[in-house]
Amino acid sequence: MAANRWLATGNFFITYKEEQRTFLTSLDRLIFSIFLSALFIWPIFFSLSRPYMLVINNILIAVIAVLGLNLVTGFAGLISIGHAAFVGVGAYTVASFSRVLGDSHFLITHMWPLLILAGGTAGAITGAIVGLPSLRLKHLYLAIATLSFQMIFEWVIKFMTFFNQGQTISVGRVTWFTGDIGRNDHYTFWYYVALVLIVLLGFGIRNLFKTRYGRALVAVRDNDRAADAMGMHPGFTKVYAFALSGFFAGVAGAVHAFLYKGAGIESFTLHHSITYLAMAIVGGLGTINGSFWGPAAIEILNLQVEKFSEYAANYLPSAMNLATALRPFTFGLVIVLFLMFEPRGIANWWRIVKSYTKTWPFRY
Amino acid sequence: MKGRNTGWIRLLLTITLIIGMSSYANAGGKVYKVGLSLAITGPTSDAGNPYAKGVEDYFRFVNDTKLLGEDTIDCTIKDDQYQTDVTKRNFEDFLDQGIVFYLNYSTGSTLALKKDFDEVQIPVLPASFHAGNVEDSKYIFLPIASYSEQAVSLAEYVVKNHKGDKPKAAMFIHPSAFGRGPVSDVEKAVAAGLAMEIVEVVEHGNDLDNTAMLQRLMSKGVQYVICQTIQSPVATMLKDASRLSIIAKTFGENGKITFLGAHYTGGNDLIDLAGNAAENFLWTTSYTITSEPGPGTDAQLELAKKYGRDEKAANSHNYANGIMVAQVTTEVIRRAKEKGLEISRKTLYDELNAMNGDNSYQPPTTVGPVTYSLTDRAGVDSLQIYSVQQGKFRKIGEPITSEYMKKIK
Repeated sequence: MAANRWLATGNFFITYKEEQRTFLTSLDRLIFSIFLSALFIWPIFFSLSRPYMLVINNILIAVIAVLGLNLVTGFAGLISIGHAAFVGVGAYTVASFSRVLGDSHFLITHMWPLLILAGGTAGAITGAIVGLPSLRLKHLYLAIATLSFQMIFEWVIKFMTFFNQGQTISVGRVTWFTGDIGRNDHYTFWYYVALVLIVLLGFGIRNLFKTRYGRALVAVRDNDRAADAMGMHPGFTKVYAFALSGFFAGVAGAVHAFLYKGAGIESFTLHHSITYLAMAIVGGLGTINGSFWGPAAIEILNLQVEKFSEYAANYLPSAMNLATALRPFTFGLVIVLFLMFEPRGIANWWRIVKSYTKTWPFRY
Repeated sequence: MKGRNTGWIRLLLTITLIIGMSSYANAGGKVYKVGLSLAITGPTSDAGNPYAKGVEDYFRFVNDTKLLGEDTIDCTIKDDQYQTDVTKRNFEDFLDQGIVFYLNYSTGSTLALKKDFDEVQIPVLPASFHAGNVEDSKYIFLPIASYSEQAVSLAEYVVKNHKGDKPKAAMFIHPSAFGRGPVSDVEKAVAAGLAMEIVEVVEHGNDLDNTAMLQRLMSKGVQYVICQTIQSPVATMLKDASRLSIIAKTFGENGKITFLGAHYTGGNDLIDLAGNAAENFLWTTSYTITSEPGPGTDAQLELAKKYGRDEKAANSHNYANGIMVAQVTTEVIRRAKEKGLEISRKTLYDELNAMNGDNSYQPPTTVGPVTYSLTDRAGVDSLQIYSVQQGKFRKIGEPITSEYMKKIK
């Protein structure tokens, strides 16, 4: 390791342990700590309107979900087109408790962290079951299998009276040590919950890749036969990748149900699955920080296109048709452009910025 | 140099004066904020688009003609693309703006936001007439009779006018709460003594061909199909039925099917989509329509002309729908103002609940008065039946009200 741990201009690892450090330099750690502190502190000093807090919360929930999708698709190389259904499993786990016990039952209002965990567990179990075809299927065929799960999920929710045939099942407000979380604190509270979960799950993934289980995911993605020859179990690894991804999605879904005070099928459709996939691609498949960039970029893009559509609708003659087409068009265009010109996603831009600042003022 | 300075000072003074005067001009009246979130683009925008225009035009009319004196209504209309998540964001935005009345759109978002409406205690008029909207909710008011009431009324109309044995009917519904809602109520009406047999309930998908389904219904002896969905699937079905020559030319014609539908199945869009196949389709709504001219429709067309709307929007029953909710909103504000009350969510809610008996309100665009109370959450209870004759919807008889809905409630 470099003598100066603050300004290392290159990689000077002499042991594997050093290479596996979470932060390569002390400067990295400091910047990350400041950034994280800022994320925790800003709501105390700045009051953002509820609609914008809702957008931020949506981004954070999507970050949790995309972290999971990145595990299965980015790191393990298994395409999943049914990720919104896994998110839905988490949300409907919470909603099911609410339906059976009542939306203001003690379990919902006070034991909500356990319900978030239950949502994650249900997502993991479902993920493992859906992952079973990955023992036999690969690539496009596996994608179709996950797509089937998405269809089955939507069908079950839309037709079963227990799930209110897809209409919203109400979930009550929760209680914290400070008392009931009222309307005014609702979005800030869930912002903190989502943020804490992201920190825990983000570090969880970072540490997972320091273990053989994490490295097995990448090994199986790159060459499952070679991984098998090296003593890994490709089948188990694939199923466990789906289970882990399902856990993340389930947690995201459970938080979504609490944030929106209910679960309805409209939030877990195929369109949402494609959106999660787009977030992962735009952010950067197979990178952890890509899971943060992607949701933020797509949500902000959505918001801007929405505003532009409204603006265009006021001035253009065939405005309504244009506005209707604008959103899916922009969405598709962004994915195509990223796939063509920056397949490594925004995460790659981040890597370039980091490497530039690392060697600054020298270019190389 | 001195002269140039004086010029600048004069200019600044003039600007200050203009700004001052304009703020003084606005200071006379109060501004009441209202919000509307609906699908102007995306799914169901064919209905949402004219609906938004109706709301916008009527509030402009209120402000332009000073119906509320110096006070004005500021209605912010936001597109939610038929997505509940976006509706929720829009609603939160409206609350931040300080709205005193909220206009919502879809069944899904109305059901999803029900708890929020109760929490913030805001009166809400949705474009959805789903009976479930008002269950366990104090603040949602349906503009007209619920989908359930419309479907039961159509069933009653069938029973009343059918000749022969017990009529066999099928229901053709949208695969959602919007479509499914009335099914159980029609079944309850049948259980309560309505002499009709519901042979099958068909949930349509995105089918482009209904031939097999129609032939199956024919083989089961179905003579009537009651539709609770939107226009496009009905148009597809009617075109298939026309191709099979199974559309009844007269009501209840033997060996043929008579098609009937609730509010969102009909209107000019259905005729545009289905063409000649729409002939003899029976449709019910609580609105007056421009193919049957009267004072209400004249006012509707005049309003559309005043604000430069095209023919399609001007003649849309959803334009009338939008006008009507804006009229009810304006009326409760006017009444509260007349009583010298401060305009707030509470006073408007109270005014809506007091809108009954002698206080009921008759908008020009509906076939009956708007009545609300703590127990009555449907505005216009009367329904008019229309039938397509030579490419236009024509009135059949006088407005009706359901008998069985009272029995099964």
